[in-house]
Amino acid sequence: MKYEEAMAELEKISIQMENNELGIDQLAEKLNQAKELIKFCRAQLVNIEQEIQKILSDEEK
Amino acid sequence: MTPVTLWELNNIIKDVIENNLDDTYWVMGELAEARQASNGHFYGELIQKDESGRNVIARARVNCWAQQYNLIRLRFLHETGQEIRAGLKVLLEVQVTFHEQYGYALKITDVDSSYTMGDLARRRKEILAKLEEEGILHDNQTLPMHRLTWRIAIVSAETAAGYGDFCDQLLHNEYDLRFRIQLFPATMQGQHVEESVSTALCQIANEEEKWDAVVIIRGGGAVADMSDFDSYQLASIVAQFPLPVIVGIGHERDETVLDYVAHQRVKTPTAAAAFLIDHQLEELSLLNHLQQRVSQSASNLLKNEQNRLEMLKEQIPLLFRTVSQRIGYRLDLLQQRLRQNVERRIQNESHRLNLITSQMESLNPDRLLKLGYSITTHEGKLVRNPNQLHPGDHITTRTEHGEIKSIVEA
Repeated sequence: MKYEEAMAELEKISIQMENNELGIDQLAEKLNQAKELIKFCRAQLVNIEQEIQKILSDEEK
Repeated sequence: MTPVTLWELNNIIKDVIENNLDDTYWVMGELAEARQASNGHFYGELIQKDESGRNVIARARVNCWAQQYNLIRLRFLHETGQEIRAGLKVLLEVQVTFHEQYGYALKITDVDSSYTMGDLARRRKEILAKLEEEGILHDNQTLPMHRLTWRIAIVSAETAAGYGDFCDQLLHNEYDLRFRIQLFPATMQGQHVEESVSTALCQIANEEEKWDAVVIIRGGGAVADMSDFDSYQLASIVAQFPLPVIVGIGHERDETVLDYVAHQRVKTPTAAAAFLIDHQLEELSLLNHLQQRVSQSASNLLKNEQNRLEMLKEQIPLLFRTVSQRIGYRLDLLQQRLRQNVERRIQNESHRLNLITSQMESLNPDRLLKLGYSITTHEGKLVRNPNQLHPGDHITTRTEHGEIKSIVEA
């Protein structure tokens, strides 16, 4: 999946949620999907490894 | 005529020149050669071409001594952003000199930089007009930048300070934004700029799918010569480049044609890095915003559902009470009606009973006996008619206070 597609999907989910188009039974599924999309997009933008190392080195201090 | 020595002749010419010409002249021309010798003196050649621009119709050596040249050079550089170099059109204030040994030369005493500026501006304008005519002037500018722009191809000189600054700023950004970079080395100064940068750009274009954007950068620092970038060929490549091109070739005052055709122009390599970081940062904040929206609306949804449940929970006893009240009311009503019915029935019955009692009362034989009547029976049967009896029958007569036994005579 491409980043731009993922972002578009994410936007769709957030709009569906805001417009109350999702039933409570769909919520968990969509929320999980959104979580995966966010994780994916974030990994594209941000150097996760560096971030983790930064957090680890912060803890050492 | 007595022959003269060459030295004598040259001295005669020198005298004529020095005594008959003005001290200085302002002369227009093009520098065909320009170099600063190791001792700091400037040597060059000034030419004039015919209208076709192909044939040289006049030529003169020019020079300038180190001390004077340094002053002139710095001012020219400051005002035009250019080194005094071959290829420039210049307006020079010169002193005509003749040296016995080296011959005719023009000694530069001043330079009018606005003339050169005007010429460079005109050349830039011509290049831009040509690109416009070809319809490609704004091609790169209108090329959309990928929302995810992280694979950056760099055209720069490897040793340039600006390149180091750029990499440092980009790769160690405080947001940990991810970038992948690769240098495509090129000469960024001098006459080989056009060829060298073109080659580097073509290499990148050949693997276009590996990159999201191109950055052309050059170290800042000293004011450097910009006009090497005022090239039609370079501008044409950048304008038609399949990826957005960001130009940061380190200049404050002057612009090159590349600045007009590039997707984005910035002043310094550091600014180029900042531009790329900002672009990604915008995406990151958009993502954060979306994340917030999703979690917010999810928790809202949950809260709403919970509220609904809560409300239902509260409503159930209330509803139950209403229902039970209604049922109770109906029961009460029924009970009341039942009671009324029963009472009415009882009243009716007692009424009837009273009636019957009083009727029965009126039929009670004791009452008649009390009134003085008597009842006669024969063998337990009431005697209503004397015909029932025969002489000799024993009859019993009942009165209020006792019975009388008699025998029938007739």
